[in-house]
Amino acid sequence: MQLQDQVHIGGSADMTIETIAEPVRKNYLNDKQGILSWLLTTDHKRIGLLYTFSITVLFFIGGFFALMMRLELLSPRNWLVSTETYNKLFTMHGIIMVWFFLIPSIPNTIGNFVIPLMIGAKDLAFPKLNLASWYVFMLGAGVTIYALFRGGVDTGWTFYTPFSTGYSTTYVIAAAMGIFISGFSTIMTSVNFIATIHRMRAPGLTWFRLPIFIWSMYANSVVLVLNTPVLAITLVMVAVERVFQVGIFDPALGGDPVLFQHMFWFYSHPAVYTMVLPGMAVISEIVPVFSRKPIFGYTAVAFSSVGIAVIGFLVWGHHMFVAGESVYSAMAFSLLSYFVAVPSAIKVFNWTATMYKGSVSWDTPMLYAIGFIGLFTIGGMTGLFLAALGLDVHVHDTYFVIAHFHYIMVGGTVMAFLGAFHYWWPKISGKLYPEGLGKLGAMIVFLGFNLTFFPQFVLGYLGMPRRYAAYPEEFQMLHIISTAGATILGVGYILPLCYLIWSWKYGKPAGPNPWRATGLEWQTSSPPPTHNFKKTPVVNVRAYDYEAMKEQLGLREREFENV
Amino acid sequence: MTPPPLTRKTLALVFLALWALVLGTTLIGFIDLGQYNIVVSVAFAAIQALLIALFFMQALYEGRIIRIIITGGIVWFLIMETLTLGDYMTRGWLPFPGK
Amino acid sequence: MSEPVLVGNQLLELREQFENPEQQRETASIGMWVFLITEVMMFGGLFTAFTVYRLSNPAAFNEGSKEMTIVLGAINTALLILSSFTMALAVYSSSIGKTKLLAIFLIITMIIGLCFLGIKFTEYYLHYQDHKVPGFWFEYHGPSARQVQMFFVFYFILTGLHVIHMTIGIGILLVMLYRTLLGSFSATYHTAVDLAGIYWSFVDIIWIFLYAIFYIPGLHLK
Repeated sequence: MQLQDQVHIGGSADMTIETIAEPVRKNYLNDKQGILSWLLTTDHKRIGLLYTFSITVLFFIGGFFALMMRLELLSPRNWLVSTETYNKLFTMHGIIMVWFFLIPSIPNTIGNFVIPLMIGAKDLAFPKLNLASWYVFMLGAGVTIYALFRGGVDTGWTFYTPFSTGYSTTYVIAAAMGIFISGFSTIMTSVNFIATIHRMRAPGLTWFRLPIFIWSMYANSVVLVLNTPVLAITLVMVAVERVFQVGIFDPALGGDPVLFQHMFWFYSHPAVYTMVLPGMAVISEIVPVFSRKPIFGYTAVAFSSVGIAVIGFLVWGHHMFVAGESVYSAMAFSLLSYFVAVPSAIKVFNWTATMYKGSVSWDTPMLYAIGFIGLFTIGGMTGLFLAALGLDVHVHDTYFVIAHFHYIMVGGTVMAFLGAFHYWWPKISGKLYPEGLGKLGAMIVFLGFNLTFFPQFVLGYLGMPRRYAAYPEEFQMLHIISTAGATILGVGYILPLCYLIWSWKYGKPAGPNPWRATGLEWQTSSPPPTHNFKKTPVVNVRAYDYEAMKEQLGLREREFENV
Repeated sequence: MTPPPLTRKTLALVFLALWALVLGTTLIGFIDLGQYNIVVSVAFAAIQALLIALFFMQALYEGRIIRIIITGGIVWFLIMETLTLGDYMTRGWLPFPGK
Repeated sequence: MSEPVLVGNQLLELREQFENPEQQRETASIGMWVFLITEVMMFGGLFTAFTVYRLSNPAAFNEGSKEMTIVLGAINTALLILSSFTMALAVYSSSIGKTKLLAIFLIITMIIGLCFLGIKFTEYYLHYQDHKVPGFWFEYHGPSARQVQMFFVFYFILTGLHVIHMTIGIGILLVMLYRTLLGSFSATYHTAVDLAGIYWSFVDIIWIFLYAIFYIPGLHLK
């Protein structure tokens, strides 16, 4: 009971985890009651849950569009929806998944929840800004859903000009406005994270004692702060051109459509890294815990996040190899795109090196983490194919590209998102989820994912272009496999949703540290009290230092390998 | 807390320098420098921006983190400018259609 | 939400998530500067687009610049720098605890800001009379009307955004004035005024660049 009064990580060995029995106590969930206490909360943990709720709903909306597309593609001819509707389906799928799921997914839910806990702070630096960010996000999502109900958008999530500004007759401005508004929410959260990580760390928690999660989230926030404003202003220009029909990007009016692509990809390429960096952040937490070893090459992993953030800004031209970019520029961007693979590879090698000779346990979060490592590696390697100038000309705008980025976004980020929720679920809810179902869910997701997207590599390489509702008959078999996989994947997503909600009420109490992890967030009770720690913790060990904390964690000797 | 190291006299001097620079850039603008007119005027603007940032915004008296943030912002803007212009500048270098 | 904490001999508002006032001040300062970086990138996107088009049509853009009223532009620039100076004096006054002076300088700064906006809207009105507002009512008799119109597109987007920022700035100063009159600021606590000053000066910097790219390049053609 009294552990929080004298939390001293790495210190007093006489306190074992067992000393904290779990009577019903005040925590952030039961501290205040009523719907208003949630809607007006400034507690980062509650805001994290508000985000979780909204993002889950939006994920299933986006997923529904994907399912419709997969169903349509069962047959080489249009049989389910018209081509116009198909265009709207893939556009809305992209918009909702990119801006209303992937970018806010891990940072605004798990990040919001655990960043202050991990650094031993009472809350984020600007709690009201945090709440405002959720409302702005909901407003943005609302405007986008409005565009959807008015008839949708058919430009593709990239809003390429001049189609989006001159020719499309759908609700481009409403959709762009929704994204513009959600950008403010992203910026608010990122500013909050940066200020928090700089100034709110517990005494003794120096930069190189921080969990890798914090490093990655920091790099992620920096990227979002630097690129989101550019997207905002680009969308404003698109809206101005569309409303007033004055030349900015439309060549018929004297503009340059390639400039739009430059500005859009200056945002969107780094944005791709902001989708996967939080995923990497999660994996860097899960792998050491379930291997009972400190992460291999802490400094290298920490700086590889920074490296990805920096180099990620120098590669956007590889989206424009066939768009009229100069060949010299294309060569430079191609080369730089190879460089960005280096920090990603450092991460993958160091995760596997962390597992090497570790005491690996196969709990659900670890299954997701291993799935992430494998799928991210495939996604990353095929990214190098696409960075190669000559090959890109062949596979540009084909299903090869689709498969590549879904291996990163779905195989990477969504796997990490699910892994993160399983890993931190005991902390969030105070309950354990059913482990057997968890493992089953992880297997189904992995299987369904590969069945959905691996055939798409083949399809793309054989020449099936993206964004088509109809296709030659020889592609049908691969499309059917892909659709079958998508169905399995859908089951794999609904299963965790069901048992996590079930365990919220009926799960076994988790105790403060079910995984015997070293992070500060595990030193407080589950669910944590409103102000996280009864007393500000003092840190005097490095992250993941199982050796220093083994007695405190009550670990047996054989659970260690190193030192 | 200690009063800021900045004195009213410094502020006034900076202010006068800024007005002088505005006057200077406007007067030079009337001279035909060809394509360099805008280069000169943007250079003048950069000097003024630097003065305002260092003194009026007190960036000179801020710690290391704030300096890194400011430098980072400027560098990232320049990355966007350079890499975009890099494309436009090199488009005509190869004499084949489509470039 | 916040509890009073005794610092020196003064009671200070400390929000619950912070340990001490110094941490609270530094955190706010980092937040403000990071926010300004997002502003740099937002205006930076427009500057990049402007640079690309200017480089491909330098003559037309100079022609467009020739249409500007340099007297109004120069006066506005001088005014805005003056307001930045008075704002810096306001920040200085608050740091030595002279809240009366702080209030006076805030009022002066706001008045100058309003004058700036007045002159800016006069300019907009002149452009409107000249048929220089892009759109179907745009008129320009010359070889490269379309490129001149593009110059005006950027002129209106950039100065329009700047006007929005000025308006927000005046709103912030009003809040600061209100809090000054309530007695919230003292020699020990004046972070909000500092941040308002930083924002105001930043908006000034943006204008200085706008003056340099829109008003100056066409001067030699007059």
